[in-house]
Amino acid sequence: MLTILAKILKVLNSQASPWQIGWAIALGLFAGILPFGLLTLLIVLIVCLLTINLSTFIVVWGLTEGLMLLFATPLENLTWQYAQNESLLKLLANTETLQLLHLHHTLTLGAFVLGAILLLPVAWLSKVLVMQYRSRVMSSVQKWKLTQMLKASKLFALYEKLN
Amino acid sequence: MIRKSGWLVFIVFFAALLALVYLVAGPAIRLGMVYSLEKAVGAEVNISKVSLELAPLALRINNLQITDAAKPTHNSLSFGHARAALEVWPALLGYYVIDELTVDGLQYGAERSREGKVYRVPGVDSEKVDIAQLLQVDLPDADELIARANLQTPAKAEALKQLAATEQQQLKTLQTQLPSKDSLAQYQTDIKALTDSKVANAADLAAKAQQLQQLKDKLNSEKAKVEQVKQQLTHSKNSLQRAVEELQAASKADYAKMQQLANLSDGGLAGISQILLGDVWGERVAQLQTLYELAKPYIPEGGLSSGQGSATAEPEVVLPNRILPLPGQPYPDFWVKTARVNWLIGGGEATIALQDITAQHALINSATRFSLDVKQLPQLAAFNLSGDFAVLQQMVTNLNWQLDGLNLQPLTLGKGDTALDLAAGLISSSGKLNLTDNQITQQASVVLNAANFNSTGNKYLQQLANLLNQQQQIPLNIATTGLISAPEVSIRSSLDKILGDALLGEAKQKVAAYQAELQAKLNSQLQTGLAGQQDWAALLTQQDGEVADISGSIETMLSAKMADVKDQAKDKLKDKLLDKLGGGN
Repeated sequence: MLTILAKILKVLNSQASPWQIGWAIALGLFAGILPFGLLTLLIVLIVCLLTINLSTFIVVWGLTEGLMLLFATPLENLTWQYAQNESLLKLLANTETLQLLHLHHTLTLGAFVLGAILLLPVAWLSKVLVMQYRSRVMSSVQKWKLTQMLKASKLFALYEKLN
Repeated sequence: MIRKSGWLVFIVFFAALLALVYLVAGPAIRLGMVYSLEKAVGAEVNISKVSLELAPLALRINNLQITDAAKPTHNSLSFGHARAALEVWPALLGYYVIDELTVDGLQYGAERSREGKVYRVPGVDSEKVDIAQLLQVDLPDADELIARANLQTPAKAEALKQLAATEQQQLKTLQTQLPSKDSLAQYQTDIKALTDSKVANAADLAAKAQQLQQLKDKLNSEKAKVEQVKQQLTHSKNSLQRAVEELQAASKADYAKMQQLANLSDGGLAGISQILLGDVWGERVAQLQTLYELAKPYIPEGGLSSGQGSATAEPEVVLPNRILPLPGQPYPDFWVKTARVNWLIGGGEATIALQDITAQHALINSATRFSLDVKQLPQLAAFNLSGDFAVLQQMVTNLNWQLDGLNLQPLTLGKGDTALDLAAGLISSSGKLNLTDNQITQQASVVLNAANFNSTGNKYLQQLANLLNQQQQIPLNIATTGLISAPEVSIRSSLDKILGDALLGEAKQKVAAYQAELQAKLNSQLQTGLAGQQDWAALLTQQDGEVADISGSIETMLSAKMADVKDQAKDKLKDKLLDKLGGGN
């Protein structure tokens, strides 16, 4: 928990651009919502190739995976209900690439649609929040006792060293 | 914006992932399997090792043991090792197509090296089928046999009694509504008083006409009541007549059935084995309902409704499937192309071969086929079972079997005075079964060879044991048709007559006595019923007559008296007119 908090603080206080953090949060959420498969690997490839903040991506991915333990079943039920569309099913049946991406799987399709809808708004909102944090909150957070303690801890020092 | 080391990072990530899957997948699958199996069976499950092979892609499970929750010193199921080879391309698309599945050393009820833990104590397992239980027939005594013959007469007699009581009650109620003789006399007096009285003038005439009209209305309403009673009388007569006819028919049918049961008629005793074994076989066959229930969610709706013949059945709730219902799905969700199971059974080995295991047969255009071949076991000479199973527009299952020389363990049929011990015997059977949705058709022949029966019960059973021991073979022909939940079973044996003579020795006397008693009872019941019916008929005829009389007098009163009063009024008017004209002179 401390490591996660330290990671988040470090990224927020770093020189990384707000867009890099914003996209990392949005893509981490996308990868976390999706069941692991080829689509996840594609997202990881995008994250690796572009200068998106890796630490934030990994943290958000892990947290979202945890959340999906709760939300996977309702999402699957909802997708099953709304995906009974003849032309959609025909398209999925006739396109092998879509099947390779497992988009004919109920949960994967639901997760893909939800992730795609959330991608841009989450990236933009995260960017705005990071900017707001840096301009208004960062200096006060630096003075918090908790932050001082975290910075003074051995774990943080080790983390700094490794990075 | 482009990370220079991006590809390198991705390759490292991908390689680490593959290594992780290779190293961790086996233990992870093992943990998952143990957890879900323990949750399902409620007892300890042990798996030595689960490993993943990459080329070709396959999963191997070593030494799986599932503790029998009812008997924790033994396993309910265990096997030495199993291997499932998965096809890669379908797996990439998310379909589980298993090219070859092999299970070696499959055993039911093997002893465990140490007692397994039980997490959930099981309830009574009513679905378990074993051959000893199948043969564990309670021989009925005479009263039970009579009860099983399902006689119709008592029910019909009771129905007649109840009907008579109901009709009587209704008639009594209606009777009170009929006009009494006094009230009719009163009407007559009133009308007479009116018609005999002198008409003074036109106003008097009008008043009397109105009074007469009122009387007429009252009489009409009484007439309607009389009509209603008449109708009820006719209805009662018909109902009672019908009930008496039904009782007579039932008693005739029962008499015939009892004659057959007691071997009195020429046709001999046809249904003794039916009475003895019919229910038992029916119950066993009904257990196939489980198979139908399992396949039911996969049967298309049209097929289901035609199978059940019910248009009002509520639509089934379709649960979300892992894969969306694509119009042209390339593979079934789950498909085992070939499976071979090596089964350790009764001190020997059996091989079960299966092909095309799936629930979506329409996609592969082929049925699931299976065959089991067992030879030279200590307790069984040979057993061959083959068949196929497909869920298309309907669920169709075909099964053929041939069983030779199954050595029977000593067992006792019946209990107490009717106990019959079977010390030894060899069973052979062959047959076929077809299950289409929930409709079953089955033909089987069962032959008990070299049977050795003993009985210390009554003399009839000892006689039966001797007779049976003299037989080279005891054959049974079993046919089942109809709905799987309530099958109609017909069991016939060429030994029925011998069995019937012996087994029903005691019962025959009781049956004869019962028959005599029944006949006497029936006669007396019929006579009482009919006598009562005759009384009733007389009463009804009498009442009918009375009602007709009442109706007739009302009619006469209505027409005659009204005419009288009108004529009288006419005359009076005429006289008055003549007076006014000067006496007509």
